[in-house]
Amino acid sequence: MIRRPINSSTAVILGILSLAVLLGSYTWMAHRQHLTNPDDTTIPTWTQIKKGVGDAFKPDDWNNESWIASDAKATGARFFLGLAVGVMGAFGIGMLMGCFTPVEAFCYPPLSLLAKIPPTGALGVFFVLVGMDTSMFVTMIAFGILPTLALTIFLAVKEFPEELQFKAYTLGASHSEVVWTVIFRFVLPKLLDAVRLVIGPALVYLIAAEMVVGDVGFGYRIRLQSKLLDMSVVYPYLAILAAFGFTMDFGLRRLRRKLCPWFEKHQG
Amino acid sequence: MECRGVSHWFGAKRVLHDINLKVQRGQFLSLVGPSGCGKSTLLRAVVGTHLPLEGEILLHREGTQREAEPVAGPGRDRGIVYQHYSLFPFLNAQENVAIGLMLDQTSIPFRFFNFLKWRRIRKQHLELAAEFLTKVKLQDAMRLYPHEMSGGMRQRVAIAQALIMKPEIILLDEPFGALDEATREELQTMLLKLYAENLQAKKRGETPAYTLVIVTHELNEAIYVGDRLVGLSQYWDWKSEGQPEFPGATIVYDKPSQVFEPKDSKDFQQFAIQRDEVRHAVFNPDVRQDRSEYVTYWSSAANAS
Repeated sequence: MIRRPINSSTAVILGILSLAVLLGSYTWMAHRQHLTNPDDTTIPTWTQIKKGVGDAFKPDDWNNESWIASDAKATGARFFLGLAVGVMGAFGIGMLMGCFTPVEAFCYPPLSLLAKIPPTGALGVFFVLVGMDTSMFVTMIAFGILPTLALTIFLAVKEFPEELQFKAYTLGASHSEVVWTVIFRFVLPKLLDAVRLVIGPALVYLIAAEMVVGDVGFGYRIRLQSKLLDMSVVYPYLAILAAFGFTMDFGLRRLRRKLCPWFEKHQG
Repeated sequence: MECRGVSHWFGAKRVLHDINLKVQRGQFLSLVGPSGCGKSTLLRAVVGTHLPLEGEILLHREGTQREAEPVAGPGRDRGIVYQHYSLFPFLNAQENVAIGLMLDQTSIPFRFFNFLKWRRIRKQHLELAAEFLTKVKLQDAMRLYPHEMSGGMRQRVAIAQALIMKPEIILLDEPFGALDEATREELQTMLLKLYAENLQAKKRGETPAYTLVIVTHELNEAIYVGDRLVGLSQYWDWKSEGQPEFPGATIVYDKPSQVFEPKDSKDFQQFAIQRDEVRHAVFNPDVRQDRSEYVTYWSSAANAS
């Protein structure tokens, strides 16, 4: 039947089943591959993956730090700095655009143009402008997510009904109170949702840039190990990235639910 | 509140022409008129969000020696209850009622830097909000968010939200338009109770607490709730005033209307005479009388006293 609801335990069982199918077919593929070529590293067996993970966690001779530690530090710092700069910039621009029409008229055309430039393509520009350290990755993530995020926030502010704005004034609000105690609270859940949506693209930009110019970091390591066809490191790295993205998403959703309990039902 | 020669137009479209209206403290004034006559435009002008292009709206403050001040924008002395979007969706009922006190009495820096003091004040605000919610019979719904409430409950909260500010005047823009008949009657009764409180205050020699202007398209509601009925209409005899073309709607009807007690039954027979008169004078496009013909509120008030 179309759209017939199922009970929750069935849903959980089906979810687990799909994951089991995924892992099972991988195991089978690896097994088949190793029958023809026992030394294969493109589809590593679980033992090979375990060894790869062990390698990743083993302290390096060079600086006595494991790959995973140095990569996580570098990538994490770049990612969170870039995300913070992008979100704060987008929040400022989006709020200003939504509240002041001249700012809207001034910022809208360049933002909608910039939003269409693939930031990975503009890598060279950032390289020339800000140099090759963390700040380049930060600039690229910020630049990549800012236009879309700013437009999303701007549209959310636009959705704020003017009746509520007038009402706030009749209740004695000052201009800054209208912005911070009324409009901001109205926009906050949408801001958190918008941030959730840009986590994926931000990771894409960062990993791609690290693949091209990094000397440390997740993207760098993945490229290096891929070139060596050593998938026993690449797959765990991808799994870590997936887990990271999932956790961020989950955390932001929890945060939104905690900060804005009114939002979910208000929508439906 | 007083409107003096208020006119408004959008480009070539004339909307309001020379509106003169005085509302006294304690009055419950119902404003009716055919659709498109500019009721909402007049209301917006009074709220101050869309100022009139000509004329001015003055607020005489009771009990002060100050001069009447012209309205320059929305302010805390004029409350408003809209038909939709009447509450802040991110606040529960109690916070919605308390937010006016917070916005009016404190500022962002104060709330930030005097956090402990603010917490004490906040507690008082919430207690007062609870009192007002009890007044509109919502003592059991204080923690509910607007989306969890019915339309009638939301309008009650919105009225409490306006009342708690003790404004000079509260404007209601088709407040019960989206409600079903039973809920609407309940809320009308609630307004009548507020009016009864006004009458008691007058008897005690105090200034009455509530002044209401209710814009409605429902004629029975207008007569039932208000103590004064004002009709705004585009159908009036502007040619006899020497106007070459239609100058906009104006007030063509202004008379006292019967005062009901909250427990009185809503007997439509009692309305009939006035209702027919208003239909004739305000709503009928074929009847274009002189605009002062039915504007007798102040002369009849003078006769009564």
